[in-house]
Amino acid sequence: MADVLGTFEQAVLLAIARLEDGAYGRAILNEVQTRLERDVAAGAVHATLVRLEEKGLLSSDLGSGTEVRAGRPRRYYRLNHSGVRALNDARAAANALWSGFKWPLKGHS
Amino acid sequence: MNMTMPPRTADAVLRMILAPQDFQTVSGDLLEEYRERILPARGKYRADLWYVGQVAGFAWRANKTWAGVLGGAVVARTALDWLVPTADFNARSTISTAVSAGIFVSAGFWAALRNSSFRAGTLAGVATALMAAVISILGATLLLAIWHDPPTLAAIEASGGLSETYTLPILLVVPGALLSTLGGLLSRYHNFHYKGVR
Repeated sequence: MADVLGTFEQAVLLAIARLEDGAYGRAILNEVQTRLERDVAAGAVHATLVRLEEKGLLSSDLGSGTEVRAGRPRRYYRLNHSGVRALNDARAAANALWSGFKWPLKGHS
Repeated sequence: MNMTMPPRTADAVLRMILAPQDFQTVSGDLLEEYRERILPARGKYRADLWYVGQVAGFAWRANKTWAGVLGGAVVARTALDWLVPTADFNARSTISTAVSAGIFVSAGFWAALRNSSFRAGTLAGVATALMAAVISILGATLLLAIWHDPPTLAAIEASGGLSETYTLPILLVVPGALLSTLGGLLSRYHNFHYKGVR
């Protein structure tokens, strides 16, 4: 297994996969908020992006700034092979854990 | 297009929290969200609050480790004084002071090293002290809720009383700011001496 991903890390990596060429900080934040259906702090997403990049699961490049950003550049992220592998491993692990159960669970309380 | 700016102070604080290479991209993301989504939906006042809240989140993440260690040390000292009373506080005070000073200098050093500005060290000290104050006040309240028998209450009085327990952590902000500034200056000296960075 390449890496053990937490739920939030999976949400961030999947947001990058969904956004493809448009995966920069604000877009990732909004995508994560939409998928998790709750408010998420920008600092939480930024810290996760830094950590995942340090782990080698993703890479980033600077883009150009826009007027609404006062010319400040965007940082675009993309998944590395190890990031894709980590996501696949996380999905396989979840599938293995749920194997044999019907979802949603009933009558186990 | 609405070109309203968020609070300047919050932007300045964010600049001191983040590494220079991160500040431009992160503040750009926040500004874009502020202008395009938050401001039209919530109005200027609540949008400014949102921006300050986001910056506070970055400050919390940057300093939570130091604040946790300092808050834990203060709670441990409080528990020791209350549960293992002594007439001579000299040794305990010396150790507590040294630990706290070490934490503040270290927090300032690392913040300034990350940010290349000794002012970042000062901010780290203030943030660490405020967050540790919350932790230690909550911790002392929890201790009091568990142990409030007459011998413990007598030990609390002998060690300075509850007022000292609740005010001292807040007063740490001033020495914390000074010591973390020292840490920041040490970091700048380290950078200049070993890396040739001014």
